[in-house]
Amino acid sequence: MKIADCGSTYSKILDLDSGALEIVATKELVRRKSERYEVATGHCARGRCAVYRNELIALAEGGLALVAEGDFSLVDVGGRDIKFVRLKGRKVEKLDWNLSCGSTTGATLELLGNYYDIDFSTLPPSDRWVNVTCGVFGMERVLEQISLGTSPEESVAMFLHGFVRNVIDFLGRPAHFHLSGGFCENPCFVRTAERYCRVTPLGRTVLLEGLKKGLE
Amino acid sequence: MKKYPADTVIGYFGFPRRKVLREARERFGLDLPLVDLDVDRGAPDSGIVDNALRFGSALAAVVAAVGEDKCDRGRHAAFLLRRMGFPVIESRFPEEEFENRPLVYSRARLPLREKIDRIMATVVDPAAPEPVPASCEPTHGFWGVPPHDFRILDLFPETTHIYGWTRCVEAGRPSDVELECRVDEGIPTVFFTQSFCAKQDLAHYLAEMHRGLAVDCHREINDSILAKVEAFVRLSR
Repeated sequence: MKIADCGSTYSKILDLDSGALEIVATKELVRRKSERYEVATGHCARGRCAVYRNELIALAEGGLALVAEGDFSLVDVGGRDIKFVRLKGRKVEKLDWNLSCGSTTGATLELLGNYYDIDFSTLPPSDRWVNVTCGVFGMERVLEQISLGTSPEESVAMFLHGFVRNVIDFLGRPAHFHLSGGFCENPCFVRTAERYCRVTPLGRTVLLEGLKKGLE
Repeated sequence: MKKYPADTVIGYFGFPRRKVLREARERFGLDLPLVDLDVDRGAPDSGIVDNALRFGSALAAVVAAVGEDKCDRGRHAAFLLRRMGFPVIESRFPEEEFENRPLVYSRARLPLREKIDRIMATVVDPAAPEPVPASCEPTHGFWGVPPHDFRILDLFPETTHIYGWTRCVEAGRPSDVELECRVDEGIPTVFFTQSFCAKQDLAHYLAEMHRGLAVDCHREINDSILAKVEAFVRLSR
């Protein structure tokens, strides 16, 4: 049996029988016309699964499966949007889903990184930031910085810093949060966020854990 | 009284004074249907002005709420419609005409979509419901104005109470901000506004205060908004 979290830019597919995890770019997944999953979540999962699960519900249940604390904040930073749940006494106290004004910020960061050949594993965090109203406006700020003589590396790190500030504001500026999604593997993102609060990366399979919990 | 073609209607939006609506009907035709222009009627952009344009010459008059009982959009729509040649009758609902109608539908155990439909119908026909639907304790809350896209309402259980401007309409007090801001403590509530509506300020303030969920959408609702509300309704039980 296969379950999947089909995000806007990356899809995570777990074979429950073998335990094999496949992470594939969604641009590749959409070409696999016949691939189907028992249970799935994510923007690109509809039409590819027998049972579709709500992403925020999968996130909350994944958090409950992976985090032992009673009270915690968990955010999934994706390519297209940001999803957040705050639990108190292991019950959902607040949730939100930044759908439009923060949209495509994560995907834009990847596009910028590819264009300027940025290695995020070695990119130093920047003390400075640009306002990242959305992906497009943020990209315009990066282009402006570069035209003013700032290096592409510093400019992209400033974009990332502005993005991190958006995420932390979205969460209500907690003292500590758990991070889900591909940005767990971006040290510059994590180190920038740690300027503001404690961060615990949970990896890219939190929603899959939530789907698994739903099968129990 | 002028004889109108069979498809003629009187348009209105917001909650006009009952006296103004009555006088419009007496003037233009007691048998003409009253139609709310501030709901999705299938016009390309589905705003008040778009709906009016779609009716075109079939619109005998527009009774326009332009006071504090309606957002600024009402006043601007009335201005534009008059410039376009529609007969516009303005209404400002005064505090002296506030009513104290019982909150039957706001607290009823019925599908949320049906409750909101019936509340908005009381603008035209304020007769008491017969039979009176059973009331219930709230498990969830919906605060705000009727959405253009009613699909969002189908995500709520029948035990959802209605708050905000829609409750004010049922009470007959469309600009009563005190009543508009009143919600039951501890009830998980979605604070809904159309995007770019000034009521978003209230919605965000109240959502923060009551740990609810502020939701806005521009025209039709997309799958992500539906998923967000679905998760809130389910996880906040």
